[in-house]
Amino acid sequence: MFPEARLDVTLRTHGGAVQGVVVRSTRLVQASRLFAGRRPHDVTQLLPTVFALCGTAQVLASLGALEQAAGQPLSTAQGPARHLLLLGEIVSEHSLALARDWPELAGLAPDLGMVRRLKLALGGLRATLYPAGDWNRPGGGVLHPDHAALRAAFAEARSALDQLLDAPLAAVTSDLYAYQAWIAASPSPVAQLLKQVSSDELAAFGRGPFQPMPEQGPADLSARLETDREGLYVAQPDSAGRVFETGPLARMAWHPVVAGLIGRFGPGLLARLSARLVEVASSLQEMEDLVQDLDNDQGAAACLVDGVGLGLVEAARGLLAHRVELEGGKVTRYQILAPTEWNFHPEGPLARGQAGAPVTDDLLRRATLLAHALDPCVACDIKVENA
Amino acid sequence: MCMAVPSRVVAIDGSVATVEAFGQTRQTSLMLLADEVAVGDYVILGAGGNFAAEVVPEQAALEALAYLSQVLADGQA
Repeated sequence: MFPEARLDVTLRTHGGAVQGVVVRSTRLVQASRLFAGRRPHDVTQLLPTVFALCGTAQVLASLGALEQAAGQPLSTAQGPARHLLLLGEIVSEHSLALARDWPELAGLAPDLGMVRRLKLALGGLRATLYPAGDWNRPGGGVLHPDHAALRAAFAEARSALDQLLDAPLAAVTSDLYAYQAWIAASPSPVAQLLKQVSSDELAAFGRGPFQPMPEQGPADLSARLETDREGLYVAQPDSAGRVFETGPLARMAWHPVVAGLIGRFGPGLLARLSARLVEVASSLQEMEDLVQDLDNDQGAAACLVDGVGLGLVEAARGLLAHRVELEGGKVTRYQILAPTEWNFHPEGPLARGQAGAPVTDDLLRRATLLAHALDPCVACDIKVENA
Repeated sequence: MCMAVPSRVVAIDGSVATVEAFGQTRQTSLMLLADEVAVGDYVILGAGGNFAAEVVPEQAALEALAYLSQVLADGQA
């Protein structure tokens, strides 16, 4: 039987407070080592299937690493198309969480018809940009964007989101006042969860020292990966002892809604959940703006020579890094560092946010909400143990 | 990693499929899929396994399963 990777989080309480947070992971953080010996093209073919839930981000990080290793410049047309694919996955992943998981967290039944509508709205992006299906080809596939189909897909996604929120997404996230007014008045299940989390105690739960991931990743990322022969770094990364938070809160902390919530409640549950909603609005807007920049492009023949490359992308859940070493046209070493290893690090934001928290009747629910807000890419079980 | 295991559809009852991977069977909803699914097709399950997230072409599924078998044999867990 294939063991399903998971996270087990235990809150150890004593004297009325959380004294320690233990995180056990069975995630297969070193499985990419087995890409060694394969041809680069075989790796980018395999990635979307074995990482189906964040397959676009995985492929784009891989392409970035492979093309850097080969010193292969990417044509200017491929950049916007790849960025559009990445944003599409971010909107899709966050939207599914809003429609499928948030109602359940609020004690409500999700509207599965809406979940399906949101999933299908952006499901055809790869084919709409790269009709030959070669979007994952090193050097770039044959880009032939169907502008009308893209605009129609974005309009459908926006319409579905407006319906889910029971208000226009853009208006809801325009400023803090509008956002809080919507939370207070809207019957939408998304607003219902945010309303539950808006009490002072819950809104602030999970705030700890906020250490957002730097925009291009930690300065020592490449060097640490290079020397990580045992795989300890990709399992529990740090940068000079600091364990960064990566994902929507780190990326959207500048936004007026998120900044306002951080100012009022700290970087806790309400700011983290809201950052995901705000990122949906921001990413969808960016996608709509990008359409006019898309041009046809033939791509380039893969020209993969010996070398070392690092590919970084901001995936839905945070910074994703791929590092590759190529020799004789084959991969000799392959490493992946995923965002969950930062956020669910034993000294990361999940653990920091709960250290010292008072034991309350709803501690388990609070911890569950925090795990959802930090959005692990695998199932996460939480329990509370009184020492 | 958030690795996905392609699972083979062995039975379908309405919008619920019984799927198999690595000798383990489970039930999953097909309602989020855009494509029609038949017995013998391969699907990827979303986190938690309640919903099938994507249909995978047989060749890609078999290559992924071969790779995942290697991962399992290598004891990467």
